[in-house]
Amino acid sequence: MEQSVQDRILESINQAPMLSPSAARLLELIADADHDLQDVLTIIRADFTLTARILRVVNSAALSLLQPVASIDRAVTYLGERYVVGLAVTDCAAAVYDRPLPGYDADQQAMWRHHLYCAIVSRLVARHARRQIDADVAFTGGLLHDIGKAILSEYIKGTPEKFVGGISDGAYRDYLDAEDQYLGIDHVQAGYSLAKHWRLPEVLQQIILHHHNPSSAPEEYRALAFAVHLGDILSMMAGFQTGSDGLQYRIDEGYKDYFTLTPVDLERLISEANIDFDKFQSSLNS
Amino acid sequence: MIDIILGIGHLAASNTPHTQIKTYALGSCVAIILLCPRMRSVGMVHVALAEAQINPSKATTLPGYFADTGLPALLKEMSLLTGRLGPAELYAKITGGASLIGTNDTFNIGQRNIRKIKELLASSGIRLVAEDVGGTISRTVAVATNTGEVELSSPGRPNWKL
Repeated sequence: MEQSVQDRILESINQAPMLSPSAARLLELIADADHDLQDVLTIIRADFTLTARILRVVNSAALSLLQPVASIDRAVTYLGERYVVGLAVTDCAAAVYDRPLPGYDADQQAMWRHHLYCAIVSRLVARHARRQIDADVAFTGGLLHDIGKAILSEYIKGTPEKFVGGISDGAYRDYLDAEDQYLGIDHVQAGYSLAKHWRLPEVLQQIILHHHNPSSAPEEYRALAFAVHLGDILSMMAGFQTGSDGLQYRIDEGYKDYFTLTPVDLERLISEANIDFDKFQSSLNS
Repeated sequence: MIDIILGIGHLAASNTPHTQIKTYALGSCVAIILLCPRMRSVGMVHVALAEAQINPSKATTLPGYFADTGLPALLKEMSLLTGRLGPAELYAKITGGASLIGTNDTFNIGQRNIRKIKELLASSGIRLVAEDVGGTISRTVAVATNTGEVELSSPGRPNWKL
């Protein structure tokens, strides 16, 4: 019997390469608010490739340090944990971030740029939460939220015009609905399955699953899902979309219960995020 | 054709033949395009936000980032290229300022950008001759020096002219 597209997609997720052991352990550690920096350093020291990469970044021209940094402890302290996790994840998941996504009319850089900008804004948005949330988890959630698109892209080649036109005509509610009607699965469900396959911590799985509809997230993860939802929206508004799906989504108005945001706050967030993005990207490219 | 690519907050002017100034994925940002038919010169600025008071130090280093510092900076850049230009010699086209589907007022940065830019153009005496703004599409825009033609594109749509 012929497999459905949905079954083929789920099978391809189950065969996807795993994250490197150090990236997986770092993600697990960062998701625990009470983790210790020494544990982060222990994982990094055991991974020579990651150690070399971190030292190269911290000594890059973009960061303009007066004295070269030779110690991994000093490098991690200087860069911050979220930066290090970002390096670990993106280096070992190049198949997700570092390739064009024809199903979304997206070039090779677009996926990474969208995730990085979203991560930066999600972290900044955390400052505006009504109750304190872990800004580093928001950053990591932003870095991973759209991984499902890397899976779906192959199955929706040639659809951007149909999807964008269908949303404009009212045939689809938004891009998520278009994916779901076309394939029987959307990118948040695919991303959630990949996150489970990678054995990501529950909080990251829930952020990925609910980042377009955070009101439906379990209460304990809802504020973080909203942080990434808002980060995703602001990324698209600032021009850092993945591709054809840019702006083709809706705001979950439930954010008002979890965040206080004025128009001026949003404009400051975008302005600040652009500065962080330029620094982060130029140091990564060095 | 030589491409001059603008990032967010960047601006450029040119009267070199066979050149186009281009900027990608405007989102809620707005591109202001100025055309001077007499000098066969064009200019463009990729504006992200309406007012420099949001981040005055950024406005100093990157005036094009804000509409109220970006338009004067673009006018200066065009004058450096061709000598002093009067507002009557210039035409403006604007594009961008999009938002999400069913956005609320708080998130409608695009509309605030458009409103501010129209005020600035009106007070400068520069005629706005064409606009393709708002909606829910992220636009890429290019203006050619030879013809002054403005071409727009967006993923999932055929290209169109402004």
